[in-house]
Amino acid sequence: MSAEMVLSVFRGEPRDGAEHEYRVPLAPGMVVLDAIRWIQAQLVPDLAVRWNCKAARCGSCAAEIDGRPKLMCKTRLDAYRGRVLHVRPLHTFPLVRDLVTDVSWNYRVAQRIPPPATALPAPLNMQARDVGRSQEFHRCIECWLCQDVCHVLREHGGQGQYVGPRFVAKIAESEMHPLDVGDRIDFLVAESGIGLCNVTRCCQEVCPEAIRITDNAIIPLKERVADRDWDPVRRLTRRWRRRAGRSGPPGRTGG
Amino acid sequence: MALSHDVLVVGAGLAGMRAALAAQAAGADVAIVTKVYPVRSHSNAAQGGINAALNPEDSWESHAYDTVKGSDYLGDQDAIEILAREAPGAIVELERMGVVFNRDEHGRLGSRNFGGASHARTYFVGDFTGQAILHVLYEQLVKSGIRTYNEHFCSQLLADGGGAVAGVTAFDMRSGEVLQIGARAVVLCTGGIGRVFEPSTNALICTGDGSALAYRAGAPLMDMEMVQFHPTTLKSNGALISESARGEGGYLLNSEGERFMKKTAPNAMELASRDVVSRAAQIEINEGRGVDGCVLLDVRHLGAAKIMERLPQIRELGLEFAGADMITDPVPVLPGMHYQMGGIRTDVHGATPIAGLYAAGECACVSVHGGNRLGANSLLETVVFGRRAGAAAAEFASGRKAASLPESLRDDEERRLRTLVERPGTERTAALRLEMGTTMTRQVGVFRDEPTLRDAERKLALLRERFAGVSIGDKGRLFNQALVAALELDFMLDLARTVVAGAIARTESRGAHTRVDHPRRNDAEWLRHTLCHHTPDGPVVSTAPVTITQWEPTERKY
Ligand SMILES: Cc1cc2nc3c(=O)[nH]c(=O)nc-3n(C[C@H](O)[C@H](O)[C@H](O)COP(=O)(O)OP(=O)(O)OC[C@H]3O[C@@H](n4cnc5c(N)ncnc54)[C@H](O)[C@@H]3O)c2cc1C
Ligand code: SF4
Ligand code: SF4
Ligand code: FES
Repeated sequence: MSAEMVLSVFRGEPRDGAEHEYRVPLAPGMVVLDAIRWIQAQLVPDLAVRWNCKAARCGSCAAEIDGRPKLMCKTRLDAYRGRVLHVRPLHTFPLVRDLVTDVSWNYRVAQRIPPPATALPAPLNMQARDVGRSQEFHRCIECWLCQDVCHVLREHGGQGQYVGPRFVAKIAESEMHPLDVGDRIDFLVAESGIGLCNVTRCCQEVCPEAIRITDNAIIPLKERVADRDWDPVRRLTRRWRRRAGRSGPPGRTGG
Repeated sequence: MALSHDVLVVGAGLAGMRAALAAQAAGADVAIVTKVYPVRSHSNAAQGGINAALNPEDSWESHAYDTVKGSDYLGDQDAIEILAREAPGAIVELERMGVVFNRDEHGRLGSRNFGGASHARTYFVGDFTGQAILHVLYEQLVKSGIRTYNEHFCSQLLADGGGAVAGVTAFDMRSGEVLQIGARAVVLCTGGIGRVFEPSTNALICTGDGSALAYRAGAPLMDMEMVQFHPTTLKSNGALISESARGEGGYLLNSEGERFMKKTAPNAMELASRDVVSRAAQIEINEGRGVDGCVLLDVRHLGAAKIMERLPQIRELGLEFAGADMITDPVPVLPGMHYQMGGIRTDVHGATPIAGLYAAGECACVSVHGGNRLGANSLLETVVFGRRAGAAAAEFASGRKAASLPESLRDDEERRLRTLVERPGTERTAALRLEMGTTMTRQVGVFRDEPTLRDAERKLALLRERFAGVSIGDKGRLFNQALVAALELDFMLDLARTVVAGAIARTESRGAHTRVDHPRRNDAEWLRHTLCHHTPDGPVVSTAPVTITQWEPTERKY
């Protein structure tokens, strides 16, 4: 019965921290977050950690588990039986305390991303197949695992230059909307830093929503950027579509 | 530095963000206080969809009637009419903001069946509807420039000399700093009380903070005994298997392989309203026709392709937490706490009886759900009544001078929280929370009777006393979750007692509230709302009439 596991959990503040080992009783189906909450409830009530949904929906509980960025609520302990499991905060973002990091950089980047632009009045008519392409990116729960793993952001200074895989996916979400009329190419070229991505695919490997960030967002958008340099016709078509959309019948506004 | 806004919204789920955007559109300077980043809010859990009578064959009257009937005639019909009339516009508006709803074969908005509905009027984004809408509203919020105090825990409502609400205190969870934020109007959008019960389908932050704040400030809580138990939750962790599994054609079976819903709802079968299905499932389990304390949800006949296309997340949940692949095996499920129909009493503009205080979303009780909420009506409620409350709060704020609150209120709150953190004691928050939650589930569940409720009342009063002995295990300031957990427990202990008080008072069976000692609906005495008022000795219950516009109560059959 009384199976146990040892978790080695990072504790501390920015300049002063180390891993500490805790013995946790195992129950069938237990995930890392259950163990961490057990440690918090029974052993160290001052352990700082974010969680909410316990169902891989809210994106709160990202951590580096045995060196891999993962959601604690989705990572079963049985996979690690028989050895010490290391749990550390995300490395790419500044530490607040214990397993909590300051991810606010991401929210500041979010403010710079050009929003979707569907100038036609809803309800819209669009085919299920086309809708699916944009929907894939709507699955994102903003857990920041992909931002954490991307070597461009992980390395010093990268955050000043590249918006990161999550936000390229966000741009793709609007670009792939069947009735989108926005033009984000200027932003992609001049501000996004997409050129720094060398297509390692690490981001899509860690995505808990299985979004194919590199294949379905980054590569197609890199192609659109390249297109623009040699394909003036395509560029004109987009412009025209945009203008046609604007002068169409007035849509409803919010409120 | 004194912070102040025209309208302050507490909560950044769907209701909160919609309210903030509407208040800004009405010209107000708006800010949001939220204890988690907006997209972490529990609205992201909604899988099934959002209702609206958009089809030409459907009508708002039909949607309204289904909702009235679903509510077991306890819903206020003026509010329900507004909900149903404004629904199509709300969906179209969401699509315009960028929500990519699923389509039908003609490229139009596609809908699915949901329980208690006479038409397929549930619109959806895969099986992550709430999350998709939440992120799109967040995008609008970012664009709007509305200030959000993220990871700030609202701990108190502040009133001016005349008793009107004039702001809040909140603390920044990351630094521990306590803020006093003045406001001409406050809109509470703090979500449900799920965690008063253990287990629950709700996220861990659904602790009813705003409901408790309003209650303590003197606003009555309405119909708190009306707690929805969802028929299909997983035994291991209380996780929800969305109604879409049945909407797409799933069966519920007992241990004999029988579709037991034919006994209680021969027409609607598995798609009767949730209270009816939960009772039927609980009876099977109680009478020994369950499987390990569960009944079976079977979707195998839909085939792998449809399951993968329409229900991928649900299948994943089954794999992950029940060890069953729904393509090849039925999944064991049981009724579990899911939603709170009751809440802070408001009018159709979200106004509470306290001047300057508004509420919308799951924490509010307008009441559109009455005794039982229909699936996919609650996302709708958040956007329809969130918008209305935001607009009404902005209007109220524009006609009122900012109250000048003494800044010492901030210092008082800081001192109160410090004392709480430093006080000695031997009780633990987690233990008390578990005891409260299991008591509620065992004694205030699907079937209720007076002696068991009285016993729960006594246990809760005792837990309230023991709370004074809780010692907070974290003495620091940075990200002190032990403090947050203790404050949440403090709120929940108040709310648990209102649920029990309402359940004792309502001596009939209606909607989700089933009294085995009063098994019939009693319209002569109980076509009324219960109202819980806060007193130092616990809740005091009074009643108020239900608004009927065009649908007279009749017997409910599915
Ligand atoms: C698993 C599940 C599935 C569901 N599926 C559906 C569905 O398919 N269709 C449907 O219509 N409904 C569904 N519901 C119900 C619906 O999701 C909720 O009722 C609705 O999302 C509530 O939204 P809200 O805006 O009121 O609150 P929430 O989204 O819960 O937001 C509450 C906000 O309040 C903030 N807050 C709380 N306390 C404080 C405090 N003290 N200080 C500062 N901020 C605070 C939080 O930070 C959060 O931002 C489902 C519910 C669950 C649990
Ligand atoms: S594919 Fe590009 S964005 Fe993704 S991790 Fe690699 S470098 Fe970063
Ligand atoms: S794209 Fe995937 S990994 Fe990145 S933030 Fe979104 S859900 Fe997380
Ligand atoms: S707790 Fe929500 S994603 Fe893990």
